[in-house]
Parts: sequence; structure tokens; C-alpha cells
Amino acid sequence: MLLNGVRKAAIATVREGGAKEMERVMTLSLRANMNLVSDPKNLDESVEEVFQMMLGVNCKRFEGPAKIEPESVTAVVGFGGLLSGACVFKSGSSAAMKIAAHMTGMEFEEIDETVQDGIGEICNMLAGVWKGKVPGLAANCGLSIPTVITGRDYNLHVQAPEFKLNHSYRFDDASFEVTIICDGIQ
Amino acid sequence: MSEVRALIVDDSTVMRKIVERALRQAGLDSLVVYEAGSGTEGLEVLKTKQVDLILSDINMPLMDGLEFLRQVRAQNLASGVPVVMITTESSEEHVKQAILSGAQGYIRKPFTAEQVKERVLPLIHAV
Repeated sequence: MLLNGVRKAAIATVREGGAKEMERVMTLSLRANMNLVSDPKNLDESVEEVFQMMLGVNCKRFEGPAKIEPESVTAVVGFGGLLSGACVFKSGSSAAMKIAAHMTGMEFEEIDETVQDGIGEICNMLAGVWKGKVPGLAANCGLSIPTVITGRDYNLHVQAPEFKLNHSYRFDDASFEVTIICDGIQ
Repeated sequence: MSEVRALIVDDSTVMRKIVERALRQAGLDSLVVYEAGSGTEGLEVLKTKQVDLILSDINMPLMDGLEFLRQVRAQNLASGVPVVMITTESSEEHVKQAILSGAQGYIRKPFTAEQVKERVLPLIHAV
């Protein structure tokens, strides 16, 4: 793995001055460490961790889009501060109901408020765990309250993001997509 | 264990249910749960109910968990009652803020029932 000068400095500093100092150095150099911020492994690990701990299921990434259904559920949690952008969760209605069922122990036949609430919380946890994996970001990037959209034939569009990660995951027969969009970084 | 009265403050109804389930799995069978969807609602509950434990989210609309905690302490609403913050925010700075605001414990979302047991039961036994 290549280490640029700033990262080397951060690692040297942590040996001398502890994690807090490392966080300060990383904070000053988040843009210079874009490869660390946009590391796709962080997103995969975040998804696996959230789904294992909150639903008790093993969730794995796969290539290609998630299953398309007429009705879909999208949750958005915004990032603000050192990094601005959003974490977006999107699934078909059957996958959303299955996730909510695992979370609550209840069965669902439609996308009601409880399903929306559960999907919003999943997105909130994904955003929180993901930013916690980037040194310097956890303390310097706030999360918005989740927004959940349900319906048919809609798209979310972000103009020219700094970077975007879009991965598909599945457990059992349920699939979904998680996107990290960064539209500003200091 | 004798009856434990817990106030769970979270804007997500699903998370409130998950926290309640985790408390029951931790062995708190005789659990009485009061729920609040915001810090403001939580303060109202504490004005009329006595509780043995408070679990609160931080990132909530209207009044966040840290302000709720400061108000609980300032208004002497739950004197000596342990407060555990449950939140997606996990940096050292957030933990410090929670402790300075009067929290005794901190649980990061996502969590397991085992983690809730480890962090919450010692606080109840200590009261």
C-alpha cells in the first residue's frame, strides 16, 4: 500500500502523540487521503457489521444491481462538516419489509411507518459506522436525521460528486444497494 | 431481579422496541418501559413517572439527547438515575460530551443484546 507524506506523518505522530493527535493530522489532510476516505472496503465492512449485529444475518456484496421491484424504499442520511454528502440505502419493497421483519420480529404486508422507520435507522447506522471507519471523520462530520422516500419511478441525482461508491448486497433472497456520495471535502 | 422502570428515548419506534427487547434478553423480565420520541417528550415523562434507568439516543429532532440529559440534570428530574446514551455517534469527542452532560454509559449503534447487558446491568445493580 502506498503511503503519501501526510499519512506517514499521521502514523509517525500517533506513535509519539496518541490517537487524538493522529485525528488532528488526519483532519487537516482528509482531501489528501481521498483513497482512504473512498476505500470501498469500509462500506462493505459497515454493511456486514450493521446487518450481522442488528438483524443477525450475513450480508454479502455482489456485482450488478439489486433486484428491481415496482415499488422501492430509499433512505437518505446526510453528512455535514469536514465531509458533505450522503449515505443512501435503496431496496425494493419486499426486501425492505424483510429487513424490518428481522429488526422487529413482526411481519409486514405493506410499506408502513414501521418499515420506513426501520429502513431509516438502518441507513443511519450505516452512515455512522462508515464515517467511524475513516480516521478523523467520526468527530468532524455530523449526521442528519434520516429521510425515507417510498414510491415508484423516482431517481435521486447528485451533480458531479467528488466520489461515489455504489455497492449491491444480499442476504437470503433480499437485495439492496448502498451508496456513499461525497459532494464536498475539506 | 425486582421491577425495573426504564425510560427509552429515541425518535425511532423500531429502535425503542429493539432496545426494550435487548433489556428483556439481558434478564430484566420485570421491566416496565416508558417510551419517548424526543428529548422534550422524555422530560414530560420524567415529570410524572419515576424511573430506575434512562436510555437515550443523541441524534433526535426537536431536542437532542445531550440537551435532554442536561435538562434532566438541571431540573433535577431523575436524581441518581443512571443514563446510558445509545447512538451512532462514536467518536471520543461524542463520548466525552455525553459523560460531561451526565451520562454513566455509552452504547454505540449497532449493538448486540450482550453489549446492552454488559453496559446496563452493572449500573442498575450499583443504584
